[in-house]
Amino acid sequence: MNLSSAQLASIAAHRFGMGEARLTTVGGDARDWLLQQIGPADPQRADPSAPLVSAHEGLVRLATQNRDAQLAQAAAAARASAAALAPMAASGEAPSAPMAAASQPVAAPNDPLRSIIQGDVRARLATAATTTRPFAERLALFWGNHFTVSALKGNTRTVVGAFHREAIRPHIAGSFEALLRAAVTHPAMLRFLDNELSAGPQSRFARTQLRRPRSEMDRAPRITGLNENLAREVLELHTLGAPGLGLSADGGASYTQADVTSFARVLTGWRVPIQQILREDGSHPAGRFDATWHEPGEKVVLGRRYGEGEGALAEALRDFTLHPATARHIATKLARHFVADVPPPALVDRLAHRFQHTQGDLAAVYRELLAAPEAWSPQPVKLKTPEEFVISTARVLGLGEQAFQRAPDGGIGGLGQRVHAAPSPAGWPDRADEWLGPDAVWKRVEWSLRVAERLGSRVDARALASESLGPRLGDATRLQIERAADGVQAVALLLMAPEFQRR
Amino acid sequence: MPSSSASSSASSPCFSRRSLLRSAAAAAAGLATASPWAQLSLATTAGASDRKLVFVLLRGGLDGLAAAPVPGDPSFASARGVLGEYASAPLPLEGPFALHPHLASLHALYGAGEAAVVHAVGLPYRERSHFDAQQLLESGGTRPYEFTTGWLGRALEATGQRGVALNTAVPLVLRGGQAIDSWAPSVLPEPAPDLVQRLAVLYQHDPELATALERARRLREEGTQATAASMAGLSGNVPSAPSPANRGQAVQLARKAAELMLRPAGAQVAVLEMGGWDTHANQAAQGNSQGALANNLRQLDTVLATLREALAAPAANGAWQRTVVVVSSEFGREVAANGTNGSDHGTGGVAFVLGGAVHGGRVFVDWPGLAPAQRFEGRDLRITTDIRSVLRPVLQAQLGLARDALDRTVLPGSGGLRDLPLLRA
Repeated sequence: MNLSSAQLASIAAHRFGMGEARLTTVGGDARDWLLQQIGPADPQRADPSAPLVSAHEGLVRLATQNRDAQLAQAAAAARASAAALAPMAASGEAPSAPMAAASQPVAAPNDPLRSIIQGDVRARLATAATTTRPFAERLALFWGNHFTVSALKGNTRTVVGAFHREAIRPHIAGSFEALLRAAVTHPAMLRFLDNELSAGPQSRFARTQLRRPRSEMDRAPRITGLNENLAREVLELHTLGAPGLGLSADGGASYTQADVTSFARVLTGWRVPIQQILREDGSHPAGRFDATWHEPGEKVVLGRRYGEGEGALAEALRDFTLHPATARHIATKLARHFVADVPPPALVDRLAHRFQHTQGDLAAVYRELLAAPEAWSPQPVKLKTPEEFVISTARVLGLGEQAFQRAPDGGIGGLGQRVHAAPSPAGWPDRADEWLGPDAVWKRVEWSLRVAERLGSRVDARALASESLGPRLGDATRLQIERAADGVQAVALLLMAPEFQRR
Repeated sequence: MPSSSASSSASSPCFSRRSLLRSAAAAAAGLATASPWAQLSLATTAGASDRKLVFVLLRGGLDGLAAAPVPGDPSFASARGVLGEYASAPLPLEGPFALHPHLASLHALYGAGEAAVVHAVGLPYRERSHFDAQQLLESGGTRPYEFTTGWLGRALEATGQRGVALNTAVPLVLRGGQAIDSWAPSVLPEPAPDLVQRLAVLYQHDPELATALERARRLREEGTQATAASMAGLSGNVPSAPSPANRGQAVQLARKAAELMLRPAGAQVAVLEMGGWDTHANQAAQGNSQGALANNLRQLDTVLATLREALAAPAANGAWQRTVVVVSSEFGREVAANGTNGSDHGTGGVAFVLGGAVHGGRVFVDWPGLAPAQRFEGRDLRITTDIRSVLRPVLQAQLGLARDALDRTVLPGSGGLRDLPLLRA
């Protein structure tokens, strides 16, 4: 395939990157521009007035807030006369968001912890809007979505940003095993998927609980055994993939309910010991192993035996990394993200082979992707998600961090994608048909118009279209932008053009 | 059919003897006129073109035994433990069955013969993945990812009727060969028609974007016309009844669904989605009166009451009498509590079918029992009714879908299933 260097630059800037105002930024060798970016993601940019919090601090702030709220509630209840229905302390569970909403604020307006939540969202988007390594940034967002932790669960809302900074961003170009271990043992994940509550049924902790007498006033629910939430999602979402995806065709047998339960036993003891954390200074990792919660004895997962104790999890995660179904699952998701909603099977095969052959060396897999002719087809096919659309708009219009001053998420939530608050552990979908609802497209038009109105005539959409899109700018779009009624309409047309909506 | 005693069938090891529960009293309730709502409903004759179908999709796996407990099953209390404790008594249904105290409106509809409960119901699928199970519940296939379109989408394609999703995105269940509308509230200003026209030109060679834009434009245009024709009391801007903030949104969407269906040549089918049902931990705080599951059930009840209220309003011309609402989730949850006072993924669950067209006041069930030996894999409520036995009669009656299309394209492979007699003749 013979593509001009301008065509290659346009593909590099928009498909692999996050959009550039000028293709000259990419330089003469587009592939090299991308190869040079392979490595850990940039540190996130923080607003100096609102420093970003670590997982330790996020957990401490949340626990302190919850305790204060409980004390206030207990005091109020004590004042109340009768044994009336004092509402149970909310224990950090935010109301779930059961339906699609119009304008979803990033944090509830009355949430005392909203500065943390807003700061995390703003840092994520400001970094993406300004980084000079947008390929690395895209990969960081990809992996953050693969290992979803969502602020929809109230007691994880102060650690979602820290999760990305601590578990994801440093590990995106190393071994998959290291990334997986960092994600699964991070306190945000242990909490989001309930593992901090999961006790081995025969563990010392569970046995003590059963002996403990309970009074009517005992509000803390008794924990007596397993919670298999994290175990199932590690197998289904993070590593081997759902049995139904047909990944087992040449990836060996997939897992059974018995494997899920057994792996849940391996995971017991991996917790977020909040009382201990409250006494510490943050120099220890907040997610850690507590042997008193761990199920004794040997466990068998996917036919392999794991001994009792802390070391079993790392061994299991290593074995999952080497499982052929994992290579296929990751290869499919990467190819879908960068190439097509229905990825070319030959490309998936090559990526999976590279993953398997290198035992999950992610940098090697990215190089294989960049070498693939399928990844450089000139026709833009992938529809941007709302977040990608807003970030690329900020980059192309040169708005930088300012785009996220008024609303921390720049309005992405109103377009149907609440930042840091994916609706399920599977994360946001990566297929156009999930984002092509008539109302979703209409809201993009409304949003584009609002942005264009705020910019007024400061932007020459004609020049910008050609400098940013280069050879991908089609004649029809060029003509429409030139003939726009005014500068505002021209910008809105540029943002809504198929060449900009797709990548 | 004589009603079978649930306790005897629950203790019977012989599955073939179990039969549909249907008490004579409940069947008679279908004719009741004492219902506080009956007077609002106008009996009209209408063809399939006037009939409406609302599908309420509960994502995350509703705990069917929490929403519709079975206190009359001898194993219920021991099997459910803390999950089976109710601070206020569950609302009784026929036989051993009951409803969660927060489903009071649904219970009233049941009493009025306008709601039916289908228990121990589920997909032709026995694994426990949310994502595979939701794919099947929406696609109507028997293997995950067998179909990339939805059963409602294919049904609408066959009949040429209109469907609308109350969400920015169109869920899989509505996708098919035919374009579908979607609607969600907005805080942004409407674009001028001129901009939309120019975008349509831009999308000449991008049919996906072109279709989405055109559908959205037309839905808004019709809305303006409908408002001009004074659809009093049904515009989406009517303030909702006072309710906690997080319930306002759901109520607004339910109202909007009704409005979009009531417009002239409006949608035949509406889909509402509700999330937050994946209750792995602490689902049953304070005897099932507090916590995420209790709040969600209360919200679901409000949504159902809102649909009923809007479709039975005088201006709705008796639409409720021609409406069927189906509420379903991708699976139920494990019978026993897990180690954290929640429940892990299971298989069998519950579905609700309501509407003026429903022959309600009945529990449709082939009750498998809750004792460990009666459970699926010793763990879950066993599925004894295929959800497609619910969907089939509803699709035939409400969309006028021919059996042939149903068997071959809409729910392929379901031809051998029995259609539950859910609807009034």
